[in-house]
Amino acid sequence: MSLVLLLRLGVVLSAIYCLIALTILVARTFSFGRPPRYSKAQGSAAKGIVYAFGQGMLPWEKESAFKHLPTFFAGILYHAGIFAAVFFLITTLLLIRLPDIAILIIRLLAVIGLLSGIGLLAKRFALPYMRFISCIDDYIANILVGLLLLVTILATYYYVLQFAMMAVAITLLLYIPVGKIRHCVFFFYSRILFGAFFGRRGTLPHPSTED
Amino acid sequence: MSEDIRKDSYEERISSLTSAEFAKALQTFCDKIEFGDAAQLNSCVHCGLCADTCHYYLASSELEALPAYKLNLVSAVFKNQHTRLGKIAPALTGAEALDADMISRWVDSLYGRCSLCGRCALNCTLGINISRLIRLARTTLASVDLVPSELQSTVSTAVDKGNNMGIPRQEWLDTLQWLDEELQQEVSDPSAHLPIDQSHTRLFYTVNPREPKFFPLSLLATAKIFYAAGESWTFSSDYYDVTNYGLFSGDDQASGVISARLRDSMHKLHANTLVLGECGHGYNANRWEAPEWLAGAYGFEAKSILEIIADYIRQGRIKLDPSRNQKRVTLHDPCNLVRLGGIIEEQRFILKRAVSDFVEMYPNREQNFCCGGGGGQLSMTRFAKRRIEAGRIKADQIRATGAKIVVAPCHNCIDQLMELNKEYKLGVEIKTVSEMVADALIIER
Repeated sequence: MSLVLLLRLGVVLSAIYCLIALTILVARTFSFGRPPRYSKAQGSAAKGIVYAFGQGMLPWEKESAFKHLPTFFAGILYHAGIFAAVFFLITTLLLIRLPDIAILIIRLLAVIGLLSGIGLLAKRFALPYMRFISCIDDYIANILVGLLLLVTILATYYYVLQFAMMAVAITLLLYIPVGKIRHCVFFFYSRILFGAFFGRRGTLPHPSTED
Repeated sequence: MSEDIRKDSYEERISSLTSAEFAKALQTFCDKIEFGDAAQLNSCVHCGLCADTCHYYLASSELEALPAYKLNLVSAVFKNQHTRLGKIAPALTGAEALDADMISRWVDSLYGRCSLCGRCALNCTLGINISRLIRLARTTLASVDLVPSELQSTVSTAVDKGNNMGIPRQEWLDTLQWLDEELQQEVSDPSAHLPIDQSHTRLFYTVNPREPKFFPLSLLATAKIFYAAGESWTFSSDYYDVTNYGLFSGDDQASGVISARLRDSMHKLHANTLVLGECGHGYNANRWEAPEWLAGAYGFEAKSILEIIADYIRQGRIKLDPSRNQKRVTLHDPCNLVRLGGIIEEQRFILKRAVSDFVEMYPNREQNFCCGGGGGQLSMTRFAKRRIEAGRIKADQIRATGAKIVVAPCHNCIDQLMELNKEYKLGVEIKTVSEMVADALIIER
């Protein structure tokens, strides 16, 4: 078996492992149970959830976002770069040849994402309060994702570096379920719970902005 | 300051914990975790954007006040118990055991640097309900008698004596009788009175025991409003305490005992609506949490007095003359009533009709800053210095409005605001919404 086939198989297997591990993790989380809620709702949990994934994601809706716009946008661009890199990885695995313009867009997003990731990592290193709340996992996750973005950018230039991209992808996929990148799944649960909590209580969406 | 706290007898209690007590605490922690808690304990990415949403951190810049740090303290134990990497390589994910050192840090930060105001939760980029998870840790501490003694004393008094100030029944009845006479003079009607234990009324009105004890005129104000509206209402001679400090101590069992009394009084009196007086946490506890503690839906409505007054105005049952309140007024939004309670616009609707010059402080509504008095902080005198320091953010907000009167529909907040008024020389009066309405009330005969 050639190295390229071996790596492709490695990515597929590690992706399957990652999905199974995340599924088990979610199942274990559900196993904690959820008692019924007895208090009478004042607002709408459903409207709260819609808010949480819509208007509530806008920077001016959250003090933590509008007071920290560079970090907020760095976070958005970082994730955009990650999605572009994952898309490129999938097309590479499926031997799909992308048009030049698509590769250019992926490269651009990955570059911006990488720079954003480096910025966020630098912030974590530089600011005492960020170091105080960080653990080794935070640095590993940032570095692994940064590496993926870096090799993706290089792989868009040099075909041979697709091997490196796949090797990094395998490492990352194996790490996702055990480290903080598991938030790729729990983010959605957290936002749903957030929206349901404040929506049910009638706090969000704010009554004056609801209509 | 942290060192002073660590040296007190509390540390001795922690160091004397037996292995069975540690096991019990851990068991409570694990038993209390629900799906939502577990999902959120897996979610924090340590972005740090919650830092300046917390008045404790803003005022002190102490790292132990960071919401993410406080969440880390809880998630560290969760990871140690429930994640593979947390068990195999705890240092990698920040997982830690629930040992004496961790409990000491829990007490210091989760009781001593948090008012459970929920502002960090509202602004968390992922939407993690940090204050709920901090209360979960408090519940764990409560299970092994580690609630700070001053807060525990408030809860115990409520459980043992029927109200958190231990007011004897006769004293309560005497106060009501005196207020009865005051009301008659105030409205020039000898038939006006404060009903006690009347059955089948529309409303059963509950109050913060601080009112009969220290602020009886705020009770008179509400009675005057009920009189003007021609309301069918009653007090209870036994259980009238709207507060429930179990919400803050984390003791679900005591919370349930206290909540059950108001529910049972409703059934005994056959009233239609439980009216929760101007008390932020009392509203949250009795409107939202009590049915969960009691594991059953109320068979009646539970409403804030602000909703009742707003309805009177909308229905034309009371008439107000805002020119009677000429001074500039601003409004403090109690966290448990507004952000965590969903009562946001009623108080504004009322004040805009009761005063001539109403100004908002910024930020406001669900984004308001906590005054610092919630979370049991007013009871926990050991953390008083931090509480006053954290209140600087609210003091700055008030000063910026130029208001002469701060209205706060919460007696806990009022106590804290009175202290802030003195400490930061704000030169303001602190009043309840009912007091402002009563001052503007046009009594028609």
